[in-house]
Amino acid sequence: MVDIVPLSSYPSYIDLLPSIQTCNITNLPENYFLKYYLYHALTWPQLSFVAVVRPKNGYSKHTAAGGAATLSEQYPKVVGYVLAKMEEEPTDGVAHGHITSLSVMRTHRRLGIAERLMRMSQRAMAESHRAHYVSLHVRVSNTAALRLYRDTLGFKVETVESKYYADGEDAYAMRMDLTDMWMDWAEIERKDRLRAEKEGKDADEGEEVGELGTEKEKEKMVKVRVGRGLGVGDLVEKNESQTQA
Amino acid sequence: MPQPLGSKDASLFRQVVRHYENKQHKKGIKTADQILRKNPKHGDTLAMKALIISNLGQQEEAFAMAKEALRYDMKSHICWHVYGLLYRAEKNYEEAIKAYRFALRIEPESQPIQRDLALLQMQMRDYQGYIQSRTTMLQARPAFRQNWTALAIAHHLAGDLEEAEKVLTTYEETLKSTPPVSDMEHSEATLYKISIMAEAGKLEKALEQLDIVGHRITDVLAVMEMKADYLLRLDRKAEAEAAYTALLDRNPENSMYYDALIRAKGIPDSDHKVLKALYDSWVEKNPRGDAPRRIPLDFLEGEDFKQAADAYLQRMLKKGVPSLFANIKSLYTNTWKRDTVQELVEGYVSVPQTNGSAEGEANGDNKEFLSSSHYFLAQHYNYHLSRNLTKAMEHVDKAIELSPKAVEYQMTKARIWKHYGNLEKAAEEMEKARQLDEKDRYINSKAAKYQLRNNNNDKALENMSKFTRNETVGGAMGDLHEMQCVWYLTEDGEAYLRQKKLGLALKRFHGIYNIFDTWQEDQFDFHSFSLRKGMVRAYVDMVRWEDRLRQHPFYSRAALSAIRAYLLLHDQPDLAHGPLPNGVDGDADSAERKKALKKAKKEQERLEKIEADKRAARKAASTKGGDEVKKEDPDPFGNKLVQTQEPLNEATKFLTPLLELSPKSIEAQNLGFEVYLRRGKYALALKCLSAAHAIDASNPTLHIQLLRFRKALNSLSEPLPPQVAEVVNAEFETLLPKAQNLDEWNESFLSTHKDSALHTQAALTCRQLLKADSKAQCEKDLTATLDSQVESIETALAGLQLLDEWNSDQTAKAAYAEKAKSKWPESSVFQLN
Repeated sequence: MVDIVPLSSYPSYIDLLPSIQTCNITNLPENYFLKYYLYHALTWPQLSFVAVVRPKNGYSKHTAAGGAATLSEQYPKVVGYVLAKMEEEPTDGVAHGHITSLSVMRTHRRLGIAERLMRMSQRAMAESHRAHYVSLHVRVSNTAALRLYRDTLGFKVETVESKYYADGEDAYAMRMDLTDMWMDWAEIERKDRLRAEKEGKDADEGEEVGELGTEKEKEKMVKVRVGRGLGVGDLVEKNESQTQA
Repeated sequence: MPQPLGSKDASLFRQVVRHYENKQHKKGIKTADQILRKNPKHGDTLAMKALIISNLGQQEEAFAMAKEALRYDMKSHICWHVYGLLYRAEKNYEEAIKAYRFALRIEPESQPIQRDLALLQMQMRDYQGYIQSRTTMLQARPAFRQNWTALAIAHHLAGDLEEAEKVLTTYEETLKSTPPVSDMEHSEATLYKISIMAEAGKLEKALEQLDIVGHRITDVLAVMEMKADYLLRLDRKAEAEAAYTALLDRNPENSMYYDALIRAKGIPDSDHKVLKALYDSWVEKNPRGDAPRRIPLDFLEGEDFKQAADAYLQRMLKKGVPSLFANIKSLYTNTWKRDTVQELVEGYVSVPQTNGSAEGEANGDNKEFLSSSHYFLAQHYNYHLSRNLTKAMEHVDKAIELSPKAVEYQMTKARIWKHYGNLEKAAEEMEKARQLDEKDRYINSKAAKYQLRNNNNDKALENMSKFTRNETVGGAMGDLHEMQCVWYLTEDGEAYLRQKKLGLALKRFHGIYNIFDTWQEDQFDFHSFSLRKGMVRAYVDMVRWEDRLRQHPFYSRAALSAIRAYLLLHDQPDLAHGPLPNGVDGDADSAERKKALKKAKKEQERLEKIEADKRAARKAASTKGGDEVKKEDPDPFGNKLVQTQEPLNEATKFLTPLLELSPKSIEAQNLGFEVYLRRGKYALALKCLSAAHAIDASNPTLHIQLLRFRKALNSLSEPLPPQVAEVVNAEFETLLPKAQNLDEWNESFLSTHKDSALHTQAALTCRQLLKADSKAQCEKDLTATLDSQVESIETALAGLQLLDEWNSDQTAKAAYAEKAKSKWPESSVFQLN
């Protein structure tokens, strides 16, 4: 059985980074240094998710916070992942998410794992970062992935990027609108103000709990625009010390 | 002495600094030289020049220059700061910290020096130093939230949760109004504080905070997870139930949520009806999900199980889900369930689905169902708890006949050959699978792995090279190192180890060792980066993960293999020149052996020459273009590694993190003993024995080691120092008392474990150690284990290797191999060369 869990929010599965890297290099030709995964995990901890095989004897506790009891529990087998980020310098000036890499082991396909990983990431992009849309690239020959993105999830092809991949293959640049999953920040702030005023008047009064996790998950689709290449390397800003005179 | 410059030179110096900051290195050097022409002994300028040169990769020159600069100007904080930066670039953090401290003593107000010092303190986990630095930085700039959060992190990691929380609260209280929801730094800092409270055990308080601010925190899922977790831990069941229901609404594919929900609802494990109804309700909500359908198979029994299994299997087989068997096999520890599954699926393939073949062919779905079922049965009969390889092969062939293009089916065929013990055939069949889908890297990786299991390193690399960037320095292998492809390096190294090509084996294991060093190094930039980004929870988790980095099974496996290689090298130093043909490693002075050794050395030289030529060719080809010339590996075959004079010290390098982070690994303890015993570290060797004993008192390797340790203590060339002797003797007495009759002890072990081949192998080894003249009988007894006890090919192979360790002659080995071969007629692994 496969469980979908967050990579580096709560509970944290950051111990799985080397296994995620292995899953990637086993499945795909586009590979990255571990530091690039770290960069994703530490810059947008809400956006990446992992698919792990439930250990034979289950879990002894629900959180990995204090370190799990057994090795097989702490390092379950990784069979899929989605590595996602927010575009740092969007060329269109619109905040949006980008799927850096997604893969599921061949032995675990047709279980809906990729779809689940994508939905989790998309939702987090909308909720945590107010992403207007999410973009991704897919090989034009990858019909299975295309079916997932277009037919199941509702992505639209924006453009074809010629020779996007190192081996010369073209990529579809796809995107999907996420604004319908946004939280109503203005409303939250309005209520907070009201409550603060009220508290100012009479010091106590029970607090109202936000309706978490109840937003409807609807999918819509729109437009397109392109992300960046699959560059590896010095992605983390270099912060060389400066000597002052 | 401070060395003032004229105003013109002073402005030039400021330019040097600016050029450095903008990475305009050439201009920087030029400007520095301009100053130095007039002021050749100006320390600060020289130091800046050294720093720039170091950034250009000329470390040695840079160091010499920085030292000279210090000689000219010992009191310059710039000189000391640069000196520290150079050490940092070399990753000599301790020296770097010292240099920074000097710089800071001269210039206590300098923010950059203070910050650089703090970063290193964090990297070195000098928490007390870090707290001090962060306190100073906070006092200098209290308006920055980062500085408060950083101090909180310092206290948190140092273990002072109260203080950490207090620092965060102090900052919060300075806020005049609540920041907007879009302020992620605030959002994260709030969650961070709540998680610290929870870590301190103040769950009530944490929950209270979550209720107040949770709705405005943008990491919605984290808030839901934390809330649910705390509620359940506080046993607030009704609320926990609601919280986990909300989580499941969001993600129904997480079995932990179901576990928690059931606990919250207080449903007893035995109430299968209620449990099943609960899972069914989630199936209804998410008809396409897997978890709520699959989990009930774990607890259902009897007819209920059969019905549910039938429905589950049929549904998945119709969909052709390739992971079905992987999803089912954990049920097989229950033999009744195993047999029921077998019966069900056998039923699917034996009933003529739609009577009449003509109709059957027209029905495509039916064909897929049938081939999926055969595929399932092939895996079923290939699995160790339900193995029948003949049947497995029959079913896989039927499946392939129905769907000749199915990569998975062909993969399973290769796996069946592997279990037959025929690695050559397995590799061949996996290669066929690869050819069915040449664009898929997964099957390419599998094919390469099977080549490696068959000790065919070259063929494996050729396969891998179809997906690597082969223009990288070092070709495909260079790319695999650069991309940190740990699985491949491990398998490659282990294949070389089996072939006793120790140089290459060590080369790969060191490659992995270095990758782990890089991963540890990787955290450095985040000490400043994460503070700026404000994602501090993930950062703290990362720091803690880095502290247990080498606990990862990837490290353990490579380290164990590396230690084995070094032990082999220590015991047979001639292996430094490459493997010797079997059968000649008996007599050290025989002419035959000398000849073989000479041949091995020649082969080594030949390979080196080929590689040197290749390197020269590559260099010639790459001279044009590319300003950044990467260094060629000067020792691609690991010849330098294998010529080490201190294999045991090298082994210890791999061993130390293993024992520290994976003390529960009995293999680690077993090998730790071997290393320490050879190094004459008796107390440490004993520590490994005691640890192994605590893990599994009847471990076969431990049994042999106990005897060897007793014998070692009895025949010390010089007595242990009195205190050591006292401790060692007292402790060892509890494991193997001195008065114990060893023959009896061993024979009793043998009879207790007479059904286990591995234990019998161990006892026979001990018998020989006790009575050298029992060898012939031991060989016979070992061969006899093949009659009944030995069930797996791996164990049988271990027996053959044992004969090597015993220095048995060819006749004894041949007798064993022949018998094994007749037991596993399809196998290819029982070769004597």
